[in-house]
Amino acid sequence: MKIIIVGNGLAGTMAAKTLRELDRRAEIEIFAEEQVIYYPRPNLIEFMAGNLPFERMFAFPGVWYSQEQIQLRLGTPVKKIVPDSQEVEIENGQRLTYDFLLLANGASAFLPPIKGADKKGVFTLRTLSDALNILDYMKSHPRLVVIGGGLLGLEIARAAKARGADVEVVEFFPYLLPRQLDPQGAALLRTEIEKCGIRVRLNVTTDEILGSDEIRGLRFKNGEELSADMAIVAAGVRPNVGIVKEAGLAVDRGVVVNEFLETGKPRIYAAGDGIQHNGRIYGIIPASFEQARLVAANMLGQRKKYEGTIPSNTLKVVGLLVTSVGLVNPEAGGFEEIRRENKEGGIYKKIVLQDGILIGAIWMGTKNGVNGISRAVTQKLNVERWKQSLLEDDFDFSIL
Amino acid sequence: MEKWECTACGYVYDPAVGDPENGVPPGTAFEDLPEDWVCPQCGVGKEFFQKMSA
Repeated sequence: MKIIIVGNGLAGTMAAKTLRELDRRAEIEIFAEEQVIYYPRPNLIEFMAGNLPFERMFAFPGVWYSQEQIQLRLGTPVKKIVPDSQEVEIENGQRLTYDFLLLANGASAFLPPIKGADKKGVFTLRTLSDALNILDYMKSHPRLVVIGGGLLGLEIARAAKARGADVEVVEFFPYLLPRQLDPQGAALLRTEIEKCGIRVRLNVTTDEILGSDEIRGLRFKNGEELSADMAIVAAGVRPNVGIVKEAGLAVDRGVVVNEFLETGKPRIYAAGDGIQHNGRIYGIIPASFEQARLVAANMLGQRKKYEGTIPSNTLKVVGLLVTSVGLVNPEAGGFEEIRRENKEGGIYKKIVLQDGILIGAIWMGTKNGVNGISRAVTQKLNVERWKQSLLEDDFDFSIL
Repeated sequence: MEKWECTACGYVYDPAVGDPENGVPPGTAFEDLPEDWVCPQCGVGKEFFQKMSA
């Protein structure tokens, strides 16, 4: 049996690893656009910050692939999929036949149509070569503006600051981490970020990137200007759907899959940042991981259903521990939000309930109860009885 | 000994279990893992781990 995997990011690599664990004999071949073996993307930030040496970027040593008998073709993107004959086409029109195909070609950094975004010194960060280019440019261009105050934007800001850059973050939303936080929690985060010497500007839309050939700064819609030597745009990612669409597979914002992660064309599965499941695009590691494992099992004859993944993020943003699980910013009515803040201690907690059922939480500035609250949200527990005491620092989650 | 969780993927390192597949015997504290040890699930380094609380 021959399994072809498009993409050597987390989904492609973990699917290959799982396939090999489950089946010693299957022929597995991965086609990668990038020139380097698998590395976890979070490592890019630590590498940029100078905390992780280059050789430790990679999850498995190069020999792992041959030990596991996984063929890896670097710098060899799949150009075309031909579902009818179960083939993929690579460079020089060469075609290869598969028994199963996994589309795990992920997503690319999104560069919004800002005027002047093609100027020298404007970057996005998604791949190792992006990180190398950024570090190289930053040596002689130390004034950085990060466009986007989401997770990646803040991580980039922290990393660049650690490298000695002068950093300002600009965000279109009125508060930072709009997906993970609410305004109150974000205000606390902002204070911590500013303490690190990173400037923050909210509520601004970048209208134009200024400069002739190289970037000199930004102009916002409100007329304000800012000078900068370089910009990193962190405006999210978009699934890579080009070859998938051309092959006639169902594509909406991402590659559409059913609960078995099948694409609708026989023997073609999809997993990772590029897929759309139940209208949703995840773009987070735990989701990609779960999908990759599930696809591997299903290719080998099982019928496992993907139930979705509840987004959960615990991260240290500039040293402040931030956990965000489930729905944290309900927009419609019918939800109950309970908060507790200790400004001096840098602690903020909030839970979101629907009919007593815990559906979301923000936990900042404390480790106490992080695992308990994450588990309770993931399991959608009814916490009506404990909803006031739940936010106490010494709440015992084992009673839930 | 305390369990540690990978902040990137959610993998839990349990010292009682170790990571035998990668040469770490049961009973190895997280602090005693080699510096180049990586998350067996997603491959990030030790710096992405945090100690689990109750």
